[in-house]
Amino acid sequence: MATRKEEKQFEKEMKKIRKARYEKMKDEGIENYLTPEQIRYNKNKRIIGAVWPIFRFLIIFGLGFVILYPIIFMLSTAFRPSEQMSDPSIVWLPKSFTLKNIEETFEIMNFESTVLNTLKLNMIASLLQVVTCSITGYGFARFNFKAKGILFGLVIAMIIVPPQIITIPMYLQYAFFDLFGIIPLITGDTVSLIDSGWPMYLPAMFANGIRAGLFILIFRQFFRGLPKELEDAAYLDGCGPLKTFIKVMVPNAKTSFLTVFLFSIVWYWNDFYVSSSFFTQNETVALMLKNLSGTLTYQLFNNQPPGIRAMIVWLESGCLLTIAPILIMYIFLQRYFIEGIERSGLVG
Amino acid sequence: MSENIKDIDNIEETVEAANEAVADEIAPAAEAVAAEAPSKPQKAEKPKKQKGLNIPYERRKALYGYGFILLWFLGSIYFFIMPVIESIIWSFCDAKPVPGVGGMDLKFIGIQNYKNALTVHPTYPTALPEVLGDTALKTPLILVFSIFIAIILNQKFKGRTIARAIFFLPVIIATGPVIDIINGNMDSAGTNGGTEQFNSLFETDLVGDLLAYLGISNISEKLNEIINALTSDIFNLVWNSGIQILLFLSALQTIPASAKEAAQMEGATSWEYFWKITLPNISPMIIASLVYTIVDSFVDPENPVMSIVLSMSDNWEFGYQSAMLWLYFGIVALALGIVIAIVNKFVYYEVG
Repeated sequence: MATRKEEKQFEKEMKKIRKARYEKMKDEGIENYLTPEQIRYNKNKRIIGAVWPIFRFLIIFGLGFVILYPIIFMLSTAFRPSEQMSDPSIVWLPKSFTLKNIEETFEIMNFESTVLNTLKLNMIASLLQVVTCSITGYGFARFNFKAKGILFGLVIAMIIVPPQIITIPMYLQYAFFDLFGIIPLITGDTVSLIDSGWPMYLPAMFANGIRAGLFILIFRQFFRGLPKELEDAAYLDGCGPLKTFIKVMVPNAKTSFLTVFLFSIVWYWNDFYVSSSFFTQNETVALMLKNLSGTLTYQLFNNQPPGIRAMIVWLESGCLLTIAPILIMYIFLQRYFIEGIERSGLVG
Repeated sequence: MSENIKDIDNIEETVEAANEAVADEIAPAAEAVAAEAPSKPQKAEKPKKQKGLNIPYERRKALYGYGFILLWFLGSIYFFIMPVIESIIWSFCDAKPVPGVGGMDLKFIGIQNYKNALTVHPTYPTALPEVLGDTALKTPLILVFSIFIAIILNQKFKGRTIARAIFFLPVIIATGPVIDIINGNMDSAGTNGGTEQFNSLFETDLVGDLLAYLGISNISEKLNEIINALTSDIFNLVWNSGIQILLFLSALQTIPASAKEAAQMEGATSWEYFWKITLPNISPMIIASLVYTIVDSFVDPENPVMSIVLSMSDNWEFGYQSAMLWLYFGIVALALGIVIAIVNKFVYYEVG
């Protein structure tokens, strides 16, 4: 196998040779060598090759701007004194910068403890989710059993059925948690899991967390793509299926694990559905951000809000604080997000 | 060159032959190992476990399979199937929560809830077709757009990594409440709203001036409107198609480089290449993206039906609410089924 450098070198040389040959052909009269169609084809190709990069740059630049626009807006307003919001002469660059908004929002959101709490929920749930989803995905990928089609249909149903449909029954299950009547036998009464971390951990523990169906699908596709000989070798050496899975398959699926883990972290971090349905006191970042406008009115302005426009600076500071950890993670690990999906064999 | 290729062919043949030979040898050996490995400790123990050995290999693998999915299956009974069934039952009942016990006071009333949702409710019947129409319009736009962007991002150019990183940013941010707040803020920020602010950047200065310069100012107003509609769509379009771009990009990577070379040899233009090679190859992914887009747009808590339904739980009318949700989901599932059945006819599946 040639290295990438060698390949580049080779390509360069080929280009040179092709160009020289073309020049030579041109000198001797190109009609002798090529049919008119070929000449036209080459000409068109050359024109497109010259024009397309410019168009491509414009498209990417324009759309990139559209994507970055809210973030630029966020940066522009988060560091701006509130009074300057209604100054018509300021569009992007404020006249002075201040950290006051950030500091105040930091305090109001109780940011330190909120982030730590979110991180704890997030990490435990994501780790559990990755482990259980990978086991389930492996089961679907490599074993044949009865009713496999129906069971896999259930996985698809988990992706398609909107979680809002089952919110209320789930709430009742968590608020009066009895686990098929086992817990009342021990403690005498049902237990309320609302506001504890369990509404996040428990489903993740059983591969039913946020978007678990999608993760099971990813793992299944990935494990199906791995060569079967790997396992056969392990079986021959006397490994049981679980040991085979841990010792042979998991090390081969590292990228796929990382991808699912990262996505899981992002989705748990942004999750508003679970935290708003099952938490009231358990503070997560997303929940705090959603309630920020109310908390601001109550705590900072003594119930006399200064108007929507003036409040923007605090809201945007809150947004900035919220996405900052995820954004930093993304900047450092973005190639795993992108390459991971590409390699995870989602395309099967 | 040709000799080399022949060599490789030969090697492959020999490897295959060797593989077959090995496989023949392995098959009995594997059985022997499988029979031996567990039997060693068992000889000393109770003979009762000997029975496990009699299970044929295939059956045993099936059992292992059940073992692997057991955890998920138990979980989905408790966290998915049970709530779903419960919610279906509620939809046929007049459900009132019993305080403190965690049950529902159920009174069977048949399909009354469904009837009420469709005939009595003031906004629900009109919101349904609105959401359906909106999705029908949005979905093809998102798909075409994301295929286009995926193809661009799949080409080789300088700064591709950065471009990719930017285009996947929505995947990370758009799932949270952050984007709602940003959108709301941008709407109230300037004299122009968030998306309108774009339009002022793009059209009034460029297109309008250009047309005025050309002396056709009459058309420019109408044109401005169209561009307005389009550019305001661009914002939502870009922010809603992160995952789809990712899916298509991963599909594009699977197209072998030899296909492109062969097409170029035959003198295919990029246009032909797109229709004859790219599209068939990524068509299985179109279904996945289609499902994702449709589900995503239907589940969005901001859309009219969802906001009606979600506000219902404030009134403690859970039976009515679940009836509305199931009706909605039924329609969505039906639409999804029809669309998939149609699209599936055009999907190209590689044989072998």
